[in-house]
Amino acid sequence: MTVTEPHIEEAKKDITFRVFRFNPQIDSKPYYDDYTIQVERGITVLRSLNYIKEHLDATVSFRAFCQAGICGSCAMRVNGLSKLACTTQVWEVLEKCREPNVIKVEPLRNLPLVKDLIVDMDPLVDKMKHYSNWVESTMPEEKMGKKEFLISEEEFLKYDKATDCILCASCVSECSILRANSEYVSPAVLLKSYRMNSDSRDAIHDVRLAELVKDHGVWDCTHCYRCQETCVKSIPIMDAIHGIREDAIERRGMKDTSGSKHAEAFMSDIEKKGKLVEATLPIRTNGMAWTLKNLLPMAMKMIVKRRTPPPPPLVKPTKGIRVFRSMFREMSEHVREDHKSHNK
Amino acid sequence: MKPFDIVIVGGGGAGLYAAMEAMKTNPSLNIAVLSKVYPNRSHTSAAQGGANAALANKAKDDTVELHIFDTIKGSDYLADQDAVEVLCSEAPKIIRELDNMGTPWSRMDDNTIAQRPFGGAGRPRCCYCADKTGHTILQTLYEQCLKKGVQFFNEYFALSLSVNGSRMRGLLALNIKTGKVEAFASKTVIFATGGYAKMYWNRSSNAAGNTGDGQAIAYRAGIPLKDMEFVQFHPTGLRKSGLLVTEGARGEGGYLINRDGERFMARYAKEKMELGPRDLVARSLETEILEGRGFDSPAGKYIHLDLTHLGADLIKSRLPQIREMSMQFEGVDPIEEPIPVRPTAHYSMGGIDTDNFGRTVMGGVYAAGECGCVSVHGANRLGGNSLLDILVFGRIAGRTAAEEVGKFAPGIIPESEIAEKTEELRSFMKPSGHYERYGALREELGQTLAMNVGIFREAPLLRKGIEDIAALRDRYQHVRVFDTSDVYNTNLIQVLELKNMLDLAETVAAGAYAREESRGSHTRVDFPVRDDEKWHKHTVATLENGTVTLGEKPVTMGRYELQERTY
Amino acid sequence: MKRYAYYLSCINESMTKEVDRSIDLWQKDLGIELVKMHESTCCGGSNLDYVSPKHFALVNARNIAIAEKMGQDLVVSCNTCLMTIRSAKKKLDETPELKKEVNDILKKEGLEYRGTSDVRHLLWVLVDDVGIDAIKEKVKVPLTNYRIAPFYGCHILRPSKVLGHDNPVEPSSLDQLIEALGGKTIPYEHKNRCCGFHTLLVAEEESLNVAAEALEEAIREKADFIVTPCPLCHTVLDGYQAKALKQAGDEKNSIPVFHLSEMVGLALGYTAKQLGIKRHIVT
Repeated sequence: MTVTEPHIEEAKKDITFRVFRFNPQIDSKPYYDDYTIQVERGITVLRSLNYIKEHLDATVSFRAFCQAGICGSCAMRVNGLSKLACTTQVWEVLEKCREPNVIKVEPLRNLPLVKDLIVDMDPLVDKMKHYSNWVESTMPEEKMGKKEFLISEEEFLKYDKATDCILCASCVSECSILRANSEYVSPAVLLKSYRMNSDSRDAIHDVRLAELVKDHGVWDCTHCYRCQETCVKSIPIMDAIHGIREDAIERRGMKDTSGSKHAEAFMSDIEKKGKLVEATLPIRTNGMAWTLKNLLPMAMKMIVKRRTPPPPPLVKPTKGIRVFRSMFREMSEHVREDHKSHNK
Repeated sequence: MKPFDIVIVGGGGAGLYAAMEAMKTNPSLNIAVLSKVYPNRSHTSAAQGGANAALANKAKDDTVELHIFDTIKGSDYLADQDAVEVLCSEAPKIIRELDNMGTPWSRMDDNTIAQRPFGGAGRPRCCYCADKTGHTILQTLYEQCLKKGVQFFNEYFALSLSVNGSRMRGLLALNIKTGKVEAFASKTVIFATGGYAKMYWNRSSNAAGNTGDGQAIAYRAGIPLKDMEFVQFHPTGLRKSGLLVTEGARGEGGYLINRDGERFMARYAKEKMELGPRDLVARSLETEILEGRGFDSPAGKYIHLDLTHLGADLIKSRLPQIREMSMQFEGVDPIEEPIPVRPTAHYSMGGIDTDNFGRTVMGGVYAAGECGCVSVHGANRLGGNSLLDILVFGRIAGRTAAEEVGKFAPGIIPESEIAEKTEELRSFMKPSGHYERYGALREELGQTLAMNVGIFREAPLLRKGIEDIAALRDRYQHVRVFDTSDVYNTNLIQVLELKNMLDLAETVAAGAYAREESRGSHTRVDFPVRDDEKWHKHTVATLENGTVTLGEKPVTMGRYELQERTY
Repeated sequence: MKRYAYYLSCINESMTKEVDRSIDLWQKDLGIELVKMHESTCCGGSNLDYVSPKHFALVNARNIAIAEKMGQDLVVSCNTCLMTIRSAKKKLDETPELKKEVNDILKKEGLEYRGTSDVRHLLWVLVDDVGIDAIKEKVKVPLTNYRIAPFYGCHILRPSKVLGHDNPVEPSSLDQLIEALGGKTIPYEHKNRCCGFHTLLVAEEESLNVAAEALEEAIREKADFIVTPCPLCHTVLDGYQAKALKQAGDEKNSIPVFHLSEMVGLALGYTAKQLGIKRHIVT
């Protein structure tokens, strides 16, 4: 075996870190400080911040702990995107600079600001409590430690990825709905809830689910996929959110909440017409009273503009609807079979 | 604040288990958990490989007895045998308990908890969840604590014990969010603040905050520290960052290869090869590098950890984090090419001297986990025994404190003590002509420790190390905190952490200098042989008149006689 | 003339008829022919996938199979249809058992899902197949002097593992198209953000807050109009604009929102009336 000497050409660049600053004791509003340092290829954003703190300005405040991407302390927004500073290479964010070689570093969004790059994590912890983000074991405490639960690899794989979550809150920071309403459950807590609800050792699945389908819960997610896209552990968070919805429909029925009714409408319309009947979607989701109150003014405008969706009788079924329906129903048979064998 | 019955300092595995167990033992107690980070950030999360327990799921002939023997032998016979017995016999119970509470263990084909081989163990007994075992255990414990309504004081930095004569009356801590010094009057205090190996700074796999806060506070309050010279170097730290590649990577079949393409462990541990105990493997790597058989690069000399023959599927399913870290911090995909590694300071065997119940010499003060030293790891800890240690002894300390709390009167901490402490912290911020930068001191401390109190030690180097540390302690007097604000002053915290590291570094170097033998992780080039006659004993470091004074303590023996340690 | 199987999105059949109407006007000008798939059905609108994953697979395997039978790529002009059909395709390609189960049923109609047709957005066809240079040549009324805010919407970008065309953080295809048509794109933070459509009927207040932010930025940056490749985004940003802005405390301002197809039509010389722009709520 021949071994060649690795010859690493260490490129260097002057990089400006534009750091969000806010000290509640002194500042009436946030501002940015620029720090320009020479950075080698291979250096992370966190190491750059550490350098700035040690050599240029000791007052720059941020959290950091493990520096290995496992503790979740150093989540912040780098060039607008929430990520861990410790696993983010300076070189890889350079191409996303608005101004060349100026990297913007800001605190996470959607959590209260404490100082500079530090936000308050308590609201997230409170939500974990509210949605019982723990396994409430089916085994009474006094019996614990004597016997293992027998758990299939198949079950483990259901929540394996979800247990990768390090609660760094990057997804919380990127969430579209949290930005619109801070009471929203948040992607991280939905992920944790999903993980708990898929665990056969847990005894409070139904209680947790009942909480999740309420206002500010699982149905408020708007499928923007920002959480999943930003997740530092590449966890398919939307799969977990959809998993909870699937479970909610299965366990609580289609008529449970406006969210499930809305979802169900797609299923029944496709079966009947192959198309979505949009005109009645608001009524089926929220009822007649809500629709009249909320959408009437809009409907008037739309009539004027001839934008109204056609009423149900005028929605023409898809060409070949008969064969389509029979295939759709055949699949329904398959699903019923699946459920039966699953329940065994 | 109402006086507490128990104040637990540290929110990692040991602290959380102690809290749960104390609540379970006596639900009426007023218990607080202080942590300088949110508990789920604690360094327990970084433990990748797993926790040992003789469940006999994989090797049907495994027994607690075998686990005990492996641990004692691994410790180079410095562990107290009665303590090891507690550790190993509690192990199966505690792993099952975690399973019962919801820890997501990887599973075997028969749906029982999966186990893998680990260094120094005669049977595959390391229970794991992929390579995120510590993380999932910590999550489980944190979740269960939230469920139980444990009172958390997150982002509080412990400063000192309040002691009146010999009576402990509570703890002073800095509320990081407000910058106020707060008094936690309490009947008992449990230290569970983790290890001190971060004093090696860039040559350490530890989190930035593993600065031995609890040990330093106890030491300054007159409580002895035990076996501080024993610092474990993990054989496989990443070349550039010192971050850890779990032993699980070798457990799954990884090879260590030198620049001649040789699996050199054959020369050091014929039988166990890469799965020899950590101290031996770390020394072997370092020897290969020192003797010129390592690879060279601008980022330092290194050895190859080769996983390529394991295949993409196994690497992706069993070692996903390792793959991610190799790619992020070294730019190397272990599926395609070997990982560059070198030894990194990883674990502190030493710590606050406790008995098998976590008690220290001071009434009402307990310690557990890496922060304490029972001792179950002796001169060298086996992989998979540290998670076990924090769980088993965290629980025992919690239970013991809860049971004994009645023995201690509620403490009252005088206001003047808070004022004094506040003034002490403020004094770092006063402008002065000459000042020192904490960053530079920290860096120099790490360097001198790695050079002079590292894997291979000898008298002249150690003397140099001791001098350097003393000089750094002098310079520390002039360290200045530039951030004068109250809210979340990380500048101040880092300066206080540096003080803790400096105080403890002195005890590490003193112990290493005194111990004229080679045992476990402590290798004296000038005393290459284990000297049972003179040194089969613990060292005990106490702070007297501002400097370290060394004493000793016998090792508790049991069934196993001293033997030569070969693998 | 390059041909594509053109998928009929429910919303373009009902509320946003102007989309297909404007495409019909100019497709031949750009040398493409979008052959309408009259037998296609609703994709499930990013809802069917969790209501019933198997029906979701069946319905979209069928949609793609129709395009495969036509021997063409399936092209859509709705982001959510794009994301939904592409994720079904990914699932089918990755799960042979599912593919077999679905194909056994599709036999009834003489269809088979093979995985040979790609699923693409009209925007991608314009930028990649027609090409920026060719489009530039065809422009009759360049959009010079227009400051345009490109609102990509979510489901043309995310999840990137399913979409994979643009960089989800810094998408560029729509910007390229705008520049090709002679317009000027403004730096627009909300370009890759959400419009709030999918919770409009479930959590209206939240949805409108989301929409209002995107509208406010475009107004603040003095954009002349917003353009979007997605009729669902359009429905919120245009149809619900007044309500959203009012909720955000702005009763004065408004901003026109154009479909991608209308913007192309304008630059190719068609009138607002021909393109159906008068049908918008904000004009």
